[in-house]
Amino acid sequence: MELDRPVASELAGAVREFLEAEILPTLDDHRLRFRTLVAMNALSIVERETPPPDERTWETARRIRAGDVRPGDLAALKSEIAAKLRIASPRTLDRYS
Amino acid sequence: MRDALEQALGARVEHAVKLAGGASKEAWAVDLADGRELLVRRAGGGVIHLDTLSLRDEYEVIVAAREAGVRAPEPIAYLGEVDGREAFAMERVHGETIGRRIVKAPPPGLGLEMAEELAKIHAVAPERLPFLPHGSLWERLYAELDSVDEPHPAIELGLAWCRERLPLDRPPVVTHGDFRLGNLAVDEHGLVAVLDWEFAHLSDPAEDLAWPLVRAWRFGADDRRLGGVGDVEPYLARYDELTGRAVPLSELYAWEVLGNCKWAIGALTQARRHLRGEERSVELAILGRLAAEMEYELLDLIERAA
Repeated sequence: MELDRPVASELAGAVREFLEAEILPTLDDHRLRFRTLVAMNALSIVERETPPPDERTWETARRIRAGDVRPGDLAALKSEIAAKLRIASPRTLDRYS
Repeated sequence: MRDALEQALGARVEHAVKLAGGASKEAWAVDLADGRELLVRRAGGGVIHLDTLSLRDEYEVIVAAREAGVRAPEPIAYLGEVDGREAFAMERVHGETIGRRIVKAPPPGLGLEMAEELAKIHAVAPERLPFLPHGSLWERLYAELDSVDEPHPAIELGLAWCRERLPLDRPPVVTHGDFRLGNLAVDEHGLVAVLDWEFAHLSDPAEDLAWPLVRAWRFGADDRRLGGVGDVEPYLARYDELTGRAVPLSELYAWEVLGNCKWAIGALTQARRHLRGEERSVELAILGRLAAEMEYELLDLIERAA
């Protein structure tokens, strides 16, 4: 499954930047500053882990754009999006039962 | 900023407070010494989006809407540049705008009032606002989706499904472009004012009519299909009665699917502002992952229509 962007590494980068720009400058406590820097370093490790791209999803998107919609598409896409939601927003699926 | 405001408004300013908001547009609550309470909209430092109106044009739309009897904030003045950036002033209306709070206890007539305001907006003469965008719906949506540069077969399927079902045979009218809870000021008696006119454009009136049905704009009150506040049927009947149009429920359903496509694409493009470094923000970043909520909804709607 191809995940939507921002992928985990990019989300980690967004949070690291937030800590750096908006939280770190407000911290006077020595120990908290140090622990925040350690947390930022942990996030930068996640930032360097990038998933490989998936060509298959591009092919499906181009095929449907060209007007070739097949009978199994709807069900296959629905289960693929459900898998994305189980990562990005699990409670959304509870609203469909 | 206070001096610049006093000069532009020609009045003494008691207080001027910048409200929380986006980087592309600022909002200032400004209290004048004569007791008037204003809201000043001003360009921000961030990137201006394509297809949103300039502040001068947005001001003109509000003026035209007021002339047509729409409940919109009273426009006070287009101010030109205030401290280096374009701005206009309007009446600061009171009322709740937070969707989650409104759907907890919606005033009983709100759904019908929404239909009434839409009927008035759609009656504004298009030649009164010659600057409004009026491009092809499909070209606009595909161009936005392509700008995301990420494959989204679910959105492709939604757009293909809608293209087969939307006749687009009505003459285009002036539409608000973002008519939903969140952009409506509401008090215990009902609708106070229609806000946020920057997405106004010429389009099929059903595009506006179906937009508040989109699940994301029900703010958790999923079973009340009209924006979490009421049923669709009386709202549509009131709109048809006032406008002489006859929008079939089945067509409104297809526009609701399209609304989910539009908001999915909107969420993805917002996330690109973060990813491209135009405006770094965790809130914008997260929208890139929440587009899947709209994708699931549009697939579910299509499945249920079969």
